[in-house]
Amino acid sequence: MTADAILTTEGLTKRFGGLVAVDGIDIELKRGTVLGMIGINGAGKTTAMNCINGLYHNEGGKVYLNGADVTHRTPHEIAKLGVGRTFQVPRIFHRMSLIDNLLVTSLDSTLSDEQLTERAESFLERMNLFELRYNHGEELSGGQQKLLELARVMMFDPDLILLDEPFAGVNPALCRLLIDRILELRDSGKSFLLVSHDLTSIYKLSDRIVVLNQGQVIAEGGVDDIKTDPAVIEAYLGQQ
Amino acid sequence: MSSLTQIDEAQASRIRHTIWFGLIAIVVVWFGLMPTLGGNLSLYFSLMLWVTMATAFNIIAGFTGYMPFGYVAFYGTGTYATAILVVNFDISPYIAIPMAGVAGMVLALIFAPTLRLGGIYFAIVSLSLAVIMQRIMGLAPDDLTGGSHGLNLGAKTNRQDGYYAMLLVLVMALTTVTWLARSRLGKALKAIRDDAEAADAMGVNVQRSRLYAWLMSAAFASLCGGVQAWFTGALDPITAFDVLVTAKTVIYAMAGGLGTVTGPVVGTVILVWVDELIWREFPILNNFLLGLIIALLILFMPRGIVGTLMQRFPRMRRLIM
Amino acid sequence: MINEVLFWNALIGGVVFGVVYALIGCSLNVLAGVLRVINFAHGEFVIAGSFFAFAMLNSFGIHPLIALPISAVLFFFAGVVLYYVLVPRLALSDEPETASFLLMFGVSLMMVSVITWFFEADIRPMNFSFEPINVTLFKVADAYGPGRDGRVLVPTARLVTLVVNLALIIALTWFFYRTLPGKALRAATMNREAVQIVGINIHQLSAMAFGLAIALAGITGVLLALVVPSIDPNGGPDIALIGFIVIVLGGLGHPVGALFAGIIFGFVEQFSNLLLPQAAAQMVGFIILVAVIFVRPEGLFGKGQLK
Repeated sequence: MTADAILTTEGLTKRFGGLVAVDGIDIELKRGTVLGMIGINGAGKTTAMNCINGLYHNEGGKVYLNGADVTHRTPHEIAKLGVGRTFQVPRIFHRMSLIDNLLVTSLDSTLSDEQLTERAESFLERMNLFELRYNHGEELSGGQQKLLELARVMMFDPDLILLDEPFAGVNPALCRLLIDRILELRDSGKSFLLVSHDLTSIYKLSDRIVVLNQGQVIAEGGVDDIKTDPAVIEAYLGQQ
Repeated sequence: MSSLTQIDEAQASRIRHTIWFGLIAIVVVWFGLMPTLGGNLSLYFSLMLWVTMATAFNIIAGFTGYMPFGYVAFYGTGTYATAILVVNFDISPYIAIPMAGVAGMVLALIFAPTLRLGGIYFAIVSLSLAVIMQRIMGLAPDDLTGGSHGLNLGAKTNRQDGYYAMLLVLVMALTTVTWLARSRLGKALKAIRDDAEAADAMGVNVQRSRLYAWLMSAAFASLCGGVQAWFTGALDPITAFDVLVTAKTVIYAMAGGLGTVTGPVVGTVILVWVDELIWREFPILNNFLLGLIIALLILFMPRGIVGTLMQRFPRMRRLIM
Repeated sequence: MINEVLFWNALIGGVVFGVVYALIGCSLNVLAGVLRVINFAHGEFVIAGSFFAFAMLNSFGIHPLIALPISAVLFFFAGVVLYYVLVPRLALSDEPETASFLLMFGVSLMMVSVITWFFEADIRPMNFSFEPINVTLFKVADAYGPGRDGRVLVPTARLVTLVVNLALIIALTWFFYRTLPGKALRAATMNREAVQIVGINIHQLSAMAFGLAIALAGITGVLLALVVPSIDPNGGPDIALIGFIVIVLGGLGHPVGALFAGIIFGFVEQFSNLLLPQAAAQMVGFIILVAVIFVRPEGLFGKGQLK
């Protein structure tokens, strides 16, 4: 564990009955960088992410945030420590307005309601959702919901952001918007753990990449190392 | 309709509050004057009771997303707590009724672990617990709870004061829900209702927030029970823990629209009126029509009258609570 | 110590009622597991079956065992019709299980009204028995004191019902594990989307499942009429509740689980009635329900839960 690691996992293990979904994973994410996590379906990527932010209870291993042991803490405690996340299938609050969706993240804030509303509106603006700010979450398209999730994450300003398949089912224009926003945030000091199948975007965004297969890390390194790693090529069956 | 989008938030807020407080004022004046105008006290008391029950139920169901099918347990506890204190311990109803509210909250605390379950399991367990309580009340020592015959407040019954106590509880409930709808706790609860895990991941203290909602909801239900005991003077295990109490509460609240503030009020008023009408004209068909209305409601207007309106007319959302 | 005759009566009663409960649980399970419909009105369908047998006997002189297949066919069609009227809209709601619970509550109110309208609100005795009325299973020596033997009897009707029930249970098990529609139903319980991808018409399957469940409920009602002394139009909730206890105990959605759980609960109920004061015995079922949900929500056999 190095001093500038914002997130570290040691031997993270998660079982579902007889199935070992995550099998002793060691990850290190340095502050202010983007760590891409790739692997075929069922490799354990989302499961690992759920263990990290407390949604799943891992059977083995530890999770460290800024050096502090947060294993088995509740999701909201971990969120309060500055961890935000998005979900593979967007989990926005469908019967609440877009503004309320964002405000939910800042309920403990000492800022006034007006200040928070202004803040929320500005983030919605950045995501081109301002016009719909009083609509309910369920009235957005899939792509818009992904943008809303990102705006929600930006609202409570976490240092570590976990993104689960942010580009899945998103059209190219939206994709570019998302990539720009992510890079902006990275440059302002945020750290990202990014799970995706979209290799083009992963290569564009990641500082380092970790490759999962059957719950284990089979490769880890910079973009070029991963592209040429034989184990990775084999696992992905010649994917480029 | 385009003019509605141009209303800014401050204006919309003012309109919302004017409409709502206007309604509350009408309610207070109307019910307050009823006794002096010689209206049917029982009917209006009943109306106030059901509006309060539906509104309180809304807190845990509409706002937080939990459907306790054993909700009557709190009502029954309040009834019995008041009756026991007044009859057996000679405590004044003015003190016994608030104590009933406390009793309800204690029960809620005891049952709080069931909130972990959620969904249909929570509903079924809640129903089971209410039935168990009903049986226990029948089994408990007769000199304490009156056994299967129940208790009678006798001379301590006070229809006049009971009526106004109900009005007070009603106003408290409506005020609480109004505050909740605008408050941060209210937003936390709605997020929990929509997706409890996501709310958790966004930093909402799910356990604590829903416990608050649970306690509030229980307190009002038990206050209702307590005031009812004072007003009618008699209670027994069957009527105090009747599953139909929960059923009516749920239907009245849903008919108007869970999750909205005006919904349960509107739903209760309309359905109690309809119930009265049917019962008077077609007593035999009463249950059949009640069942039919429930079925039609779930099939065609699951979000209730107000809820469906808010869904169809998004612009209206900012003007109605 | 309890009287040995009473003990054997409770044991036999446990088996007789247990298989009836197993059937109730099984039919409820088809609805809950495959269709995610929590049928609060299930008890009323069973009662309707009982009244059907009653009406067939009293108005047409038809033997209950003949009324059995007739009721099965009628109730099947009723179930299919009910499916197409009710269920497609349910799928659209925010929380289908809760919505179905409330919807079926409404349906149950309507059914009780209809039954009460046709048959009056009184409890009806089912004046039917086989020849001979009782079958002596065996003697218990000195059961009532030295030299006073007791006999363990069981009403023939119960014995017949037990046999029919067992036959039905075997048929059902065969259906679920050996026939294509049955396997499709089990697959649908586990994963509705996947079943559609494989090419099975989920609507037809669901309609059939609903029909099957209601048919089973009706059959159970006919059998129940043979086993209990009288039928009560307001007895629906008690039956539905037993059904819920059985499926939660056996595992929500698990067809065979309900069968075992039914029999287990049959024993528990009969022995509770024997050993505990009446009011306490009434609570046993609820306490089991609560305990199972807290300690092992997936029940004895279930692998997954409803959420």
